[in-house]
Amino acid sequence: MSYKLTDIELSEPLAPIELSTEQNGVGLIARWQGRLIGFEMIELSAGSVMTVERLKALADERFAGRIVVAKLEEELRERQPVEEAALPSLSIAICTKDRAQRLSRLLGSLDRVRGDHSFQFVEIVVVDNASVDAATREAVAGFRDIRYVFEPKAGLDFARNAALHAASGDIIAYLDDDVVVDRNWLAGLAKACRENPGVGGFTGLVLPYRLDTEAQIFFERRGGFGRGFARREFHRTRFDNPLHPVGSGTLGAGCNMAFNRALLIQLGSFDEALDTGAPLPGGGDLDIFYRVLRSGRPMIYEPQYAVYHEHRETIPQLRRQYWTWGLGMMAFLVKSYRTDDEMRAQHRALVCWWFYDQLKALARAARRFRGHELRFGMAELWGGIYGLAGEYDRSRARIQAIRERNP
Amino acid sequence: MMKERFEVRHIDLAVANAPVENGPALSIFWWKDLPLGTRASLQDELPYGIPQLRQLTAEYAAAQLEARSINLGAPLRATYEGWPKRALSLEAALKAEDLIESLDEFATASSASAHDISVVICTRDRDPALADCLRSVAAQRSAPGEIIVVDNSSNGNAKGVCGEFPGVRYVHEPQAGLSRARNAGIRASRLNIVAFTDDDVEVHPGWTAEIARAFADRDVDALTGLVLPARLDTPAQRCFQFTMGGFGTTFVPLTFDSRFFEETRPSGAHVWKMGAGANMAFQRSVFERVGLFDERLGAGAAGCSEDSELWYRLLATGGACLYEPRAVVFHHHRSDWPGLKRQMSAYMKGHVAALVVQYDNFGDRGNIVRICKQLPVYFLKTLVKTLFEGQPGRLGILVSEVQGWLAGLPFLLRFGWRKRRIPMRVTAIDAKGIAK
Repeated sequence: MSYKLTDIELSEPLAPIELSTEQNGVGLIARWQGRLIGFEMIELSAGSVMTVERLKALADERFAGRIVVAKLEEELRERQPVEEAALPSLSIAICTKDRAQRLSRLLGSLDRVRGDHSFQFVEIVVVDNASVDAATREAVAGFRDIRYVFEPKAGLDFARNAALHAASGDIIAYLDDDVVVDRNWLAGLAKACRENPGVGGFTGLVLPYRLDTEAQIFFERRGGFGRGFARREFHRTRFDNPLHPVGSGTLGAGCNMAFNRALLIQLGSFDEALDTGAPLPGGGDLDIFYRVLRSGRPMIYEPQYAVYHEHRETIPQLRRQYWTWGLGMMAFLVKSYRTDDEMRAQHRALVCWWFYDQLKALARAARRFRGHELRFGMAELWGGIYGLAGEYDRSRARIQAIRERNP
Repeated sequence: MMKERFEVRHIDLAVANAPVENGPALSIFWWKDLPLGTRASLQDELPYGIPQLRQLTAEYAAAQLEARSINLGAPLRATYEGWPKRALSLEAALKAEDLIESLDEFATASSASAHDISVVICTRDRDPALADCLRSVAAQRSAPGEIIVVDNSSNGNAKGVCGEFPGVRYVHEPQAGLSRARNAGIRASRLNIVAFTDDDVEVHPGWTAEIARAFADRDVDALTGLVLPARLDTPAQRCFQFTMGGFGTTFVPLTFDSRFFEETRPSGAHVWKMGAGANMAFQRSVFERVGLFDERLGAGAAGCSEDSELWYRLLATGGACLYEPRAVVFHHHRSDWPGLKRQMSAYMKGHVAALVVQYDNFGDRGNIVRICKQLPVYFLKTLVKTLFEGQPGRLGILVSEVQGWLAGLPFLLRFGWRKRRIPMRVTAIDAKGIAK
């Protein structure tokens, strides 16, 4: 099972898409005048051709409406010109551990976009999170103008905090080492910064980097990390969701997020007991989104600020990821239940909702005999139960030990 | 959400300045005279920033253009669930230019003359509200040909209020029942288009002119329009608007025709999605063809749904109804819980009664499916959802709805009640060969 991932530019004549004999589907990334406007996955028979007619029919239904919206946005911008804020300075922070090859791939993609911008300055900081050999340092040396920081305490949020203090930009944009940035990434972030001065942070679109395995296709089909192609604003409260912002996963994902750096420092930076790597490699993003919103500063989701994420390759890896999602979610909830008294009722309600939702999904999967969905659902549910049963405290003990080993 | 008072705030997006007011509000967005959409926001989400207003405008405007611009696939027809079926193509989207200019055209207020419209307002013991309603009708940009107030109270107490408004014709219909009152209004009216509104409504100054334009532009038999909340001061009003969905339909014009009827027929033709009796108008020929309002239905008789039952007859006999949101009225929702519960109970009872009547008239089993299967499923689902989400007040409303449904069920068994038909309608239907 493998999908061909391909870009189509709708403002130019469309061409048929030919599949090889191993490919049985297409992942279409649609643009209009370079701007990302849609993503669709279509299953086809292996080795077939997606004709221009079929592409057009799909575009009529899925993409045409977004083109009209984009055109209107441009017209409105011209009609009601607004003086927009000057751009601040930007630090791009990449936290990595023993993945020199992927890091080079990401740095390569950043190299292609970093030259053309109007930020006051852009610096790239790579935090080497206790890699076992020198490959990471060597990979960084292959690119110019990159700051290298070594963080001996293993754990993603240790690395994120190291970046936070090593960086000097007003805005700090975090990237995971398993992503590649889109050609609009920097421009998209610049647009979001210019339009929304004073906000607490930004999240962006996450598209799949490749859809070569069953697990990758499954993950993307089940929702992936994508949060759609419309800009969204998140505030401390939300009329249509009384639990907000406790379910802060709706904001986006930690592999592509940016913050006002001073605000993060003021909020006490990332919680190192979350996102510590195995066995708890999650929850840190939920926690920081939540705390930024609770501080009263809004966050913006901007679809042009986009990256491509390399999803887990194999089914066992993916199952583990779902397990850690459940684990991370509950560790985050336990933590914020303890630290944010005002919101306790919402935290309790979210735990109930989460289990109710997981069980509902499991029942649906069971009814339809969907083996994978059932197994993934079980993994996430177990992760949740295990997480609720003291994972946050176990993690705190673990990071204490890490701290003691690295005084 | 239910604790705070919500202001109903009007925002014209064609004006560049972002609003600065604060406080929880239901914002009603306009582009000049064109209603675009609503959005409820809490204090923290306000005021809307310029990028957000721009984005909202673009999204709302795109929906309007797709619904109204022939070049972009308009007009839209309603499909199952009453949502529009879009016909936009990539080619049209790529070719489209000067979109704001087209939007401006669609947003121009109607200059059509309303001299051919009879406005009928039925009232019962609600003098202060009726006075507000009549004031709003008197302020129409294009005055209607005639205004008829049908007083459904036993002692004719609305006469005094009507006397204050010159040009209002007063009709007294002492026999209780909204259908009876409406039929009395139809009989008293003399013009080609009969437009109805209620005594708890204030109409937009362009209401009659927009109705006139819609009938002039489009070949339809009937019309419904947008019903927006006038105020959201009390928890009951907010519950009706936000939890129960208000009278909210979409902000794009839709044609409800035989296709919509056929698509939804298996579950009892979803005619209640077509609009509300508080904002509807008919060509006089409709009444000649399918009959008047069924006097067994309506407030004061079996309950509500006399409006949708008439639409059912209209669609079943090949007619079409346009939903045109440019015709706007503002409804004063019930302000107290008991009033809201009575209303929801009456809605459900009337709904069941209307389904029985529709089944008797046309023999569509879907109506029975709706009563015996869909509604109980809806109750169960709502119960689970309410227990889980704990929306304040929703459980009480659900109880009222179930009570209304139970009160409606006996209509299935009351054969005497079921046989009491209006001869005019039966003839009309027989002539078309549709009755079983």
